[in-house]
Amino acid sequence: MRRASLVIAGLMLVVVFFWSTPFLWTLVASFRPDAGAGIGMASLVPDYKPTLANFSDALEAGDFAIYYLNTAIVAFGILAVQIVTISLAGYAFARLSFPGREIIFYVFLLQLMLVPPVLIVPNLRAIVDLGLYGTLLGVMAPYFASAFGTFLMRQTFRQIPRDFEEAATIDGAHWWQTLWHVLLPMAKPGLVAFSLVSLMAHWNEFLWPLMVLNEPRTQTLTIGLASFALGSEGGKEWGVLAAGTLLVMFPLLALFAAFQRQFVDSFMFSGLKG
Amino acid sequence: MRWLPSLAAAAVAVLAPAFADAQTKIDFFFPVPVDGKLAKEMTRLVKTYNDSQKDVAVTAVYTGSYDETKLKAQAAANAGKPPAVVLMSANFVLDLKLSGDLVSLEPMLKADGTTRMQFLADFWPALHANATVDGELYGVPYQNSTPLLYYNKDQFKEAGLDPEKPPQTWAELVADAKKLTKGNGDTIERYGFSMPEGYDYLGWLMEALTMSNGGKYFNEEYGGEVYYDTPTMLGAAQFVEDLVFKHKVMPQGVVEAGGVSTNFLAGKASMVLLSTGSLSFIRDNMKAAYGVAFVPRNVRNAVPIGGGSLVMFKGLNDEQKKAGWKFIKWLSSAETLAGWSRFTGYFAPRKSSYDLPEMKDFIAKHPDAKVALEQLPYAKPWFATYQTVAVRKALEDEIQAVLNGKKKAPQAIKDAQRNADALMKPYVDQTALKLP
Repeated sequence: MRRASLVIAGLMLVVVFFWSTPFLWTLVASFRPDAGAGIGMASLVPDYKPTLANFSDALEAGDFAIYYLNTAIVAFGILAVQIVTISLAGYAFARLSFPGREIIFYVFLLQLMLVPPVLIVPNLRAIVDLGLYGTLLGVMAPYFASAFGTFLMRQTFRQIPRDFEEAATIDGAHWWQTLWHVLLPMAKPGLVAFSLVSLMAHWNEFLWPLMVLNEPRTQTLTIGLASFALGSEGGKEWGVLAAGTLLVMFPLLALFAAFQRQFVDSFMFSGLKG
Repeated sequence: MRWLPSLAAAAVAVLAPAFADAQTKIDFFFPVPVDGKLAKEMTRLVKTYNDSQKDVAVTAVYTGSYDETKLKAQAAANAGKPPAVVLMSANFVLDLKLSGDLVSLEPMLKADGTTRMQFLADFWPALHANATVDGELYGVPYQNSTPLLYYNKDQFKEAGLDPEKPPQTWAELVADAKKLTKGNGDTIERYGFSMPEGYDYLGWLMEALTMSNGGKYFNEEYGGEVYYDTPTMLGAAQFVEDLVFKHKVMPQGVVEAGGVSTNFLAGKASMVLLSTGSLSFIRDNMKAAYGVAFVPRNVRNAVPIGGGSLVMFKGLNDEQKKAGWKFIKWLSSAETLAGWSRFTGYFAPRKSSYDLPEMKDFIAKHPDAKVALEQLPYAKPWFATYQTVAVRKALEDEIQAVLNGKKKAPQAIKDAQRNADALMKPYVDQTALKLP
């Protein structure tokens, strides 16, 4: 028994190593002096005196303080609105009965099948008409509703036994009080899982912010990163690229590290129930 | 105290309304295909322009790669916010004109009392074709490049070759590459030759090779024809296949540009084809002695130009058009172009830029830039067709299959031609095959 679990642990270590190789390399390369390239450029083993030069080069390429702020506003702003819209929509699809509920729900889900680039021009037109072109609100607006989130919340609500709500109704609670005091606390795992997916997606998004934003002071992290990652005619400054990548992903990484237990618990919880 | 200048500007606006009224705000979209530092330099350049005059206020917008710049500019124009000036890949100009996105620059030339011929006279002849469509000016060349052979002089010495005599022909290239390739049994430690084979770069280099083989690649006068299934392209494709599988001097599979320059710097590839746009990067990072030379020829010396041109989008009002044109003229002045060339490594599209004293000093100090300049008389236009990107990929996909050992060159070019013809058919049907 002990031997078997040791073997499993060993296998998992191997998987973890392969999975984390790109990240390890980024970490090693970002502190490597001689940003251009060298014989040991591809090595995973740090064979040098670490330097912060790559980070200062990356930070010089753009106004990162503003990029961080803008990205945070976009990602958390979207999430805040989404939590409201998906809870309400999910509740409606899960608990209210109205004619055509199922059909409307499936039409809603169809949205998931559309490839986002197809929507660039129509969305941009709407953003211009709304007077939001070039603003952070314009970047956020198309994401305020989320088909995936609505689906997730509907499923989560449906798994909660109706007894809880009935008890609340008997005590005289309105539907919104039931939603706020009874259903939402019990749907926390679903909300946490969705928040993680949403934050990641919008933190890392590149194309849509690039389409909407027009001024350096409104630009986001990924656009800042792209300015030194996309050069095809020049050479690749791997060190700077690695440092820039770390700068972009660090806040999310820190967030995940801080809330790791909650995230994992929430997945375990929802897994058990599903 | 950041608000102080704007406060002063507001005061000026109140005291002298004429000034404020005259100021036109325009957007300028620019990609950075070389290096992140360029985005900063471009922003600085635009600020210099804004400070130098009061009529036009330009907002410089960094827009990713050339492809994303095209996407953003078209989407913005569609949504009613056309950018006044865009730095666009020079071979997108034809395609964008055919799709009705661009403004002809002829009226501006007329208003200035000049003609297209007079205006273009100072630009290198190879650049004219990509700037004009159907006899009208649509783009003003801004940053341009050609492919160049970079070689490691130290490794030339080590292999018993003369470091001052880089290969001039395909035969010499193969002979030298064989001597330079170093292997240990089946594993090869150093390749004699390597070139970027990712999208965009590969099409450009295949144009260089087929032209060096006497070919043309595309019809310069008409956007519905490419010459993929031709003896000259067959020679070029077979040459690439042989370098990998027969002579074994080039790595198998598709190597991207970043990998090629990294291998060259790390001494794992002795000779590489890269853009002149990489000159500054190689110069700053290469530890071994290196040299640059013309792209080797089989039949003749010929290279395509690459790079970007300034274009204007439809949907602008007259004020914005005037402002955009004024900004274009400033950006494409001999002095601005010379400064940008020194900073980036691109060559300056204006001949007169090279008459400036600071440019003469620079060329004297950097003999590699001189080679790039000397190759310019052999430069030819960059391919530009209806659906440029898709038609280019039709060839690139096939050549990549050859590099991966999945196809033979003769079949590859036949398939490429068939696919390209299918892509251009709608345009051909509407034009050359539309008969009375």
